[in-house]
Amino acid sequence: MKEQDPVVFVIDDDRMIRDGLQSLIRSVGLRVETFASAQDFLGAKRPDAPSCLVLDVRMPGLSGLDLQLKLRDGGIPTPIIFITGHGDIPMSVRAMKEGAHEFLTKPVRGQDLLDAVQKALTSDRVLRQERREASEIRARFESLTPREKQVLELVVAGLLNKQIADQLGMSELTVKTHRAHVMEKTQAESLAHLVRMSEKLKNAERK
Amino acid sequence: MRYALATFLVAFALLVSLALQHSFGNPFWFFFSVAVILSTWFGGTGPGWLSVVCSILAVMYYFTPPLRSFAVTPGDLPYFVTFVACEVGATQLISWRRRTEDGLRQARDELEARVAERTAELKNANDALVKQMEEQKRTEETLQATRAELARAARITTIGELTASIAHEVNQPLAAVVANADACVAWLFRETPDLAEASAAAARATEGATRASDVIARIRSLITKATPEKSSLQINRIIEQTAILAEGQAARNGVAIKLELAPDSPTVLGDSIQLQQVILNLVMNGIEAMTSVDDQPRILTVQSQTENGEQIRVAVLDSGIGLSEEVKGRLFEPFFTTRTSGMGMGLSISRSIIEAHGGRLWAESNGSSGSTFQFTLPKDNGRNA
Repeated sequence: MKEQDPVVFVIDDDRMIRDGLQSLIRSVGLRVETFASAQDFLGAKRPDAPSCLVLDVRMPGLSGLDLQLKLRDGGIPTPIIFITGHGDIPMSVRAMKEGAHEFLTKPVRGQDLLDAVQKALTSDRVLRQERREASEIRARFESLTPREKQVLELVVAGLLNKQIADQLGMSELTVKTHRAHVMEKTQAESLAHLVRMSEKLKNAERK
Repeated sequence: MRYALATFLVAFALLVSLALQHSFGNPFWFFFSVAVILSTWFGGTGPGWLSVVCSILAVMYYFTPPLRSFAVTPGDLPYFVTFVACEVGATQLISWRRRTEDGLRQARDELEARVAERTAELKNANDALVKQMEEQKRTEETLQATRAELARAARITTIGELTASIAHEVNQPLAAVVANADACVAWLFRETPDLAEASAAAARATEGATRASDVIARIRSLITKATPEKSSLQINRIIEQTAILAEGQAARNGVAIKLELAPDSPTVLGDSIQLQQVILNLVMNGIEAMTSVDDQPRILTVQSQTENGEQIRVAVLDSGIGLSEEVKGRLFEPFFTTRTSGMGMGLSISRSIIEAHGGRLWAESNGSSGSTFQFTLPKDNGRNA
């Protein structure tokens, strides 16, 4: 499956800065969308592509930090590069604690910003890949019957067919049938593959 | 001791009397009176009485017939009684005299003690008063310092807020300049340079720089006010008022302010608040410049004089550290300062004010003996006030 082109969202209330940053980021061949406020960004339709935010901390209305919290609570873990007027330490600490990707002070050096953008996009690409895989696996696992799910649990826990049969009170033959269905439905190539998928799913759910 | 003295005196009188009675005839007892008087005088009442008794016994024994016995013949009785009366009288008289004297002495001592006591009390009261006055003076000084501190804090807060907002106002367009300049360079150095994008970015950079300079101009006009309220002013009066304002600061820094004012009291057309602001600024700078001077008196001189009958020159001379060429060149730049505190706007604003009044403001270094800041203003020859 071919990934969509990455997008950089630039949110700054100052038109000249917005245009400057947009031009700068476009110059390295990236797609840029600009917004004058956090509200505008939240109201816009966002493409399903690797992305990152270049966000001014101090803005009228919803501030950069407010937007960061809103996005996190809304389950949209897009990496954020903050830009601040003058190094306000408590503010930067807060932003970094909430998982800001980078914190740059105005005026930002062009190369610094481009580096930060590239890093953020790479990180988002990896995260998206992980999320996509996890959701595919989840879909496959969800197609299992309750009985098959029970068998799956015990198989990945390393139990032998005989032990599973004992624990679930069924014949070994029935266990073997369930197991074959599990392997087929989850498209597992081997037992090891099945265990790996199960682990990935658990990790994704923990996140 | 006193009793021994009495006994000794009586014995001595007895010996002298016995020795002399052969030459002067019998009976001879005058010396006993002397012994009694001396005993009472030096010994007091007790020894006096002892000497009286001893004398009587001695006279009875040695001098009244029958001799060598304590008996007295009736024929000698009046004579003997007179002797006894004389002796008793003498001792009484002397002891009364002594008591009076003692009383006097005691009274005097008491008086002295009381005087000393009162003196001590007065001294204590005085000390307390002095202490109280010192306390009050300290309190006043503390109050003064607190007030000054408060005023300074208020000023710093205002300056701090102003600086922060100026910093933001200026930083914003600068950020735009940097972003757009970087973008311009990036477009130019792509594999296939995009001149349209590059020139658009360069145009935005220029726009940002213009905006930054607009912000500065706006601040300056805000501080200097666009239109000064001009009226006819006596420049000497303004200098005097400013000197009073600066006195506290000068005193705290050990600086003496000396005024050398034009005798013809020239007038100028100007805004009194703004001109006062300029002079105060120059005076404060001068005081500041002398804080490190220790080897010569710190004197700040403010002069005014009429030049060629048409312009007035006001000069502020300090005996401070002078100006280096580098500093001198940059003095009037906005935000240039040699101090750790301060915004560096004072001289820049002062120059704007003087220029708005049709005058000129400049600085000269007097070598190692300080610097001179001076300005000229056109003399108000028209409607004199």
